[in-house]
Amino acid sequence: MNLHPFIKAPRNTTQAIMLDVIVALIPITIASYLAYGTLALTLLGTAITAAVVTDLVFSGILFGNWKTSLDGSSVITAMLLTFTISPLTPWFVVAFGAATAIIFGKILWGGLGKNLFNPALVGREFMSCIFSSILGASSIWVTSNFIHIPAQDFFLVQDDEPVKTYLSTLLYNPSGALGEYSPFLIMLGGFYLILRKRISWHIPTMLLGVFAMSSIVVGDRVNLDYSFAGLLFGTIFMATDMPSSPNNASGKIYYGAMIGLVTFILVWSGVKFSYLSYSILILNGFSSIISQVFKPNPWGKKTNRLQKSEEIALLTTAILGVTIAVIYLHENHALIYLLVVYVFYVVLKYAFDFRHKLKYPI
Amino acid sequence: MMTISSLKKETKNQEIEGLPDPPYVMMSLLGYQSQLKPLVEPGIHVLQYQLIAQSENNWSIKLHAPISGIVDVVEYNGQNYIKITNDFKNERMVCVPPKLAALNNQDILRVIRDAGIVGSGGAGFPTHIKYDVADRPITHFIINGAECEPYLSADYSLMNQEENHLWKTVQVIQKLIKAKYVILAIEKQNRELKKKIEHQISQLNINIKVQLLGNDYPQGSELQLIKTVTGKIIPKGSIPAHHGVIVSNIGTIKAIANALYQGIPYTERIVTVSGEKAKTRGNFLLKIGTPIHHILEQIGQDWQPDDQQIILGGPMMGKAVTHSEESISKGTGGLLLLRHLKTEVFNCIQCGYCADVCPQKLMPMEFARHAVRGNSDGLNQFDLKSCIECGACAYVCPSDVPLMSSIITGKQLIKTKL
Repeated sequence: MNLHPFIKAPRNTTQAIMLDVIVALIPITIASYLAYGTLALTLLGTAITAAVVTDLVFSGILFGNWKTSLDGSSVITAMLLTFTISPLTPWFVVAFGAATAIIFGKILWGGLGKNLFNPALVGREFMSCIFSSILGASSIWVTSNFIHIPAQDFFLVQDDEPVKTYLSTLLYNPSGALGEYSPFLIMLGGFYLILRKRISWHIPTMLLGVFAMSSIVVGDRVNLDYSFAGLLFGTIFMATDMPSSPNNASGKIYYGAMIGLVTFILVWSGVKFSYLSYSILILNGFSSIISQVFKPNPWGKKTNRLQKSEEIALLTTAILGVTIAVIYLHENHALIYLLVVYVFYVVLKYAFDFRHKLKYPI
Repeated sequence: MMTISSLKKETKNQEIEGLPDPPYVMMSLLGYQSQLKPLVEPGIHVLQYQLIAQSENNWSIKLHAPISGIVDVVEYNGQNYIKITNDFKNERMVCVPPKLAALNNQDILRVIRDAGIVGSGGAGFPTHIKYDVADRPITHFIINGAECEPYLSADYSLMNQEENHLWKTVQVIQKLIKAKYVILAIEKQNRELKKKIEHQISQLNINIKVQLLGNDYPQGSELQLIKTVTGKIIPKGSIPAHHGVIVSNIGTIKAIANALYQGIPYTERIVTVSGEKAKTRGNFLLKIGTPIHHILEQIGQDWQPDDQQIILGGPMMGKAVTHSEESISKGTGGLLLLRHLKTEVFNCIQCGYCADVCPQKLMPMEFARHAVRGNSDGLNQFDLKSCIECGACAYVCPSDVPLMSSIITGKQLIKTKL
């Protein structure tokens, strides 16, 4: 059957999308190199190698088609994963994270696009649960001895000019995880992706907006401990991941707003380092339901407003309920059990369900 | 909605050219939801403009001979055609333009019917049925000059080069359907036409508002056009006249103008020949029924289906030509020679581009999900029946998910489940 349309949008393949994301990550890669030199590049290289090899092997074995693993998505997964960890993370931990990200985050769901959760964040949780003693040690964040190029004074700061100091840290500040050294370059990548229509404004704006609003409402009463650069990185590169976020505009608005809210609740409850990955993973789990609930109103059809409001209320309650459960598990160091349940779930789902649907593109 | 770039600029300012008449014409007997019945026996000689076929239902869709010659009835690919072998004598029926001033509304509808006029936009709905509004109030008469299909410039060249009959015809129709407002809708990319046309109609003292629309695809689709011009959102399947709106393509107006002012039936139209593989590109005035291979020969090209994708109509909603005997019909605005598309199906990555560009606000990726699984409930839940098959979703899909075939098999699935 030779069907219309007979033309296609130019330079708009799945590989082109992946390439755009990689391009958007290049400035951050440069910042991480400036900060920690070859240490940063070695970790990135290790993660990318582990991810691509895992993807080749597992899609070769399970799907009988290794070509799909060359679409570039596993490179992105590996880069995103590396940008959320300390430059002092041992190489085998990173390799483990990258491999589990690909297997349990992508392959077992049936391949790229069918995954419910962001693979990089799945890999990150595997790493932090299995290697909790290494990644949980505070010494891993003592990185000052390894800094390649220290923070710079871009505006010739005098003694009492906190604004200029702050602006300098927005440009470059080698502290925290590998992707967090330059909010400016993170934004640059974000604008590139928006310009190329690979992400839309909805999720980042709503996420940061709701988080900022909540912080303002709470004011000085609580001390909120979070990294702005980390929040920005996750907002632009993790929360907007296509397969794991809703596929329509109003769904994205709700999704972004809810990640902002859940992130704030987690930060407020004292969850450290992982607040954003938890909140994004929680909302990932609801993203396909959000897509359905917020589906656009077809041309000339009326919406049932009451029914839609009920659905949204129910959805919001469920998301907040899961958030509370996650905080409880986190405080009791019990997230490892959730991880075990997850592993059983995806393995069984693959064996009995997903395996038979590989031929369907959706 | 989205903008699509194409070779439109290359053909739009070219003058309308003629081509030598074909050695024979192939007149398809497929009418709007009907088959036409030949009124002439094989072997007899017909004159140019002679009535040769008519639908059996009460719509009386008519077909006229575009050339003089000998008639045959033939079948190609399960399709019936009247074939007229050209005697190159150009013997024609005596055409007397009707005396307009003496015609009442019923007379005008009869002239339109007897000239075999159907919508030139593609669907081919009989125009005299559309204009027979009786006492129904019509607020807007919209002339569709938005040629949103990429590559096509036939309507543009018509508006750019037409003389006054086009606008006088609009006035006749306005009086016929008693429309309050008359709007000629053209795209911003053609804004240079606005001044020109406004000048022409002010000279004629005719009241037509020329409205500029966005360059988006599919702006020229009836429902989207009505929304842009009037603000009314009409559900698919509902008749626009019931909402006080009538839309006619500018090409249809030209066919009516020929009937009113020259007395000749709908036997020719302007067709854009274009595409990356076309060596000659332009706008041609062609006889209805002209076989594709004749056009290719005239522009110095071969019928090479392996090398090029040959399309009748636009690239977004047109039809792939499988046989060189297929021909220009009353609704064909283009003959395109394109490169074959290379498609490689990947998994849907939930990018949502298809939902973003869908003019009907649907979620096309869900059609791909439910059609392959034979789930007609799912298809109905996502309102597949509102789909206008514009192809925007498939155009923009980065993973080449088979959206269009899902939509078509999905619609069949819904029909069989009823």
